[in-house]
Amino acid sequence: MKPGATCKTYTTERLSAFVDGDLPPAEAGAVRAHASGCADCTAALADLRALVTNVRALDVPEPPPTLWPAIEGALHRRERFAWLKISLWRPVGIGALAGAVAVVLVTVALPAGRARWNREPAAPPVQIAATPVSDPLLHEAEAEFAQAAAAYERSIEKLRGLLVREEARWSPQERTRMAERLGRLDDVIARSRELARRTPGDSAGNEQLFAAYQQKIAFLAAAVHRGGESGEWDKPGGHRP
Amino acid sequence: MDNASASMPVKPPTTPMLGATAQLSAVDGLQLGPRATADAKVHAPADNDVALIAAVRRGDAGSREALYHRFKRRVYALAVRIVGPIEAEEVSQEAFIRIFRGLEKFRGDAALATWIYRLAVNAALSHRSRRSTGPQPEADDDVDMQVGAEPVRGDAVLRVRIERALKRLPVGYRTVIVLHDVEGLEHEEIAQILGCHVGTSKSQLHKARARLREMLAADGITAAALENG
Repeated sequence: MKPGATCKTYTTERLSAFVDGDLPPAEAGAVRAHASGCADCTAALADLRALVTNVRALDVPEPPPTLWPAIEGALHRRERFAWLKISLWRPVGIGALAGAVAVVLVTVALPAGRARWNREPAAPPVQIAATPVSDPLLHEAEAEFAQAAAAYERSIEKLRGLLVREEARWSPQERTRMAERLGRLDDVIARSRELARRTPGDSAGNEQLFAAYQQKIAFLAAAVHRGGESGEWDKPGGHRP
Repeated sequence: MDNASASMPVKPPTTPMLGATAQLSAVDGLQLGPRATADAKVHAPADNDVALIAAVRRGDAGSREALYHRFKRRVYALAVRIVGPIEAEEVSQEAFIRIFRGLEKFRGDAALATWIYRLAVNAALSHRSRRSTGPQPEADDDVDMQVGAEPVRGDAVLRVRIERALKRLPVGYRTVIVLHDVEGLEHEEIAQILGCHVGTSKSQLHKARARLREMLAADGITAAALENG
């Protein structure tokens, strides 16, 4: 529709296509012939050309001077996270390897046919709080931290399952002491997790959390491996949380 | 008159964040076909672009900043007109981060500027999708403020009115008219940026102009005012 015009032969869309030379030659010729005798369409064409001219003349706004420093800072942050990603995955790999070694040793060493205890319910998987972050790099880093935490949790769960079988041979007092030690380790993990949740984007919280995970993994691996000798885990040389 | 556009209220997104094509379709019901490689001309990067890309990839000092300065106004202006001036800085930042991250994988089968526009449009539309459920800035405040802040000349007022009408266009129409009429891109480039056919880009442009003209007429902008602008 052409605003204010009475001629309905061509829509504004078709006239716009004519102005840009987008119509097929036959239709373009027809528009030209019609417009030469139609005041409405002649005016509409002039109007459209003026509109396009004015739109093309719109200002190009200048970005604020803070934009480049912000981009540069975000890029540096990303590069720091990329380095951190490697340094965080390395202990995960070592932890997983240690866990695998412990699993093999214990599986081979433990006599077959021991009574199986019901496994304690596994700790819920870690959910590092999804903090609303607008920086996609920060978001990506947080997702990777969460993946690393989940890997640690899986290692802990496997070792915990092995320990449950081993504990069947222990005295009630030894089992109580073990529960206390694990409780303290869990407290450290919970506090570190809370710190990580409160400070998204700050790697310190996550580093502390991962250190706590590593401590628990090392303790569980030692307990599973040495605990068969009636509480060896509790002797000097064992891991003490 | 600067920065005269602002975000218009948007419909809630109907699809998760996807590419520019899907987002335009979701917001405006555009029917964009599969990417029309057959009718989209391919523009290889210019020599100076190739040198700049190589410098950034090598990590040459100052090369990132040089690339930023070459494209900052285009990216920022596009962001201003798609998401409004308030959020344009955030969108531009996101766009440039995508650009620098993606530069390693840039194969050079399109002009660097076209590729950058594509990332900028995607960043802006993604931003709109994320923010569409949140509170939107008051649509006309910044425009009215700027009208009041400047000496009132006929052409300045006209441009403010055009900017205001632009931001009231559906985002699909707005994106095409900004890319073509404001930024001066060819339909082939727009088709590459939006992942649509050249014909779709043209038809969206003509519809956008028709809608814009109606809005301006409703706002009291006469043909004579446009011609004298």
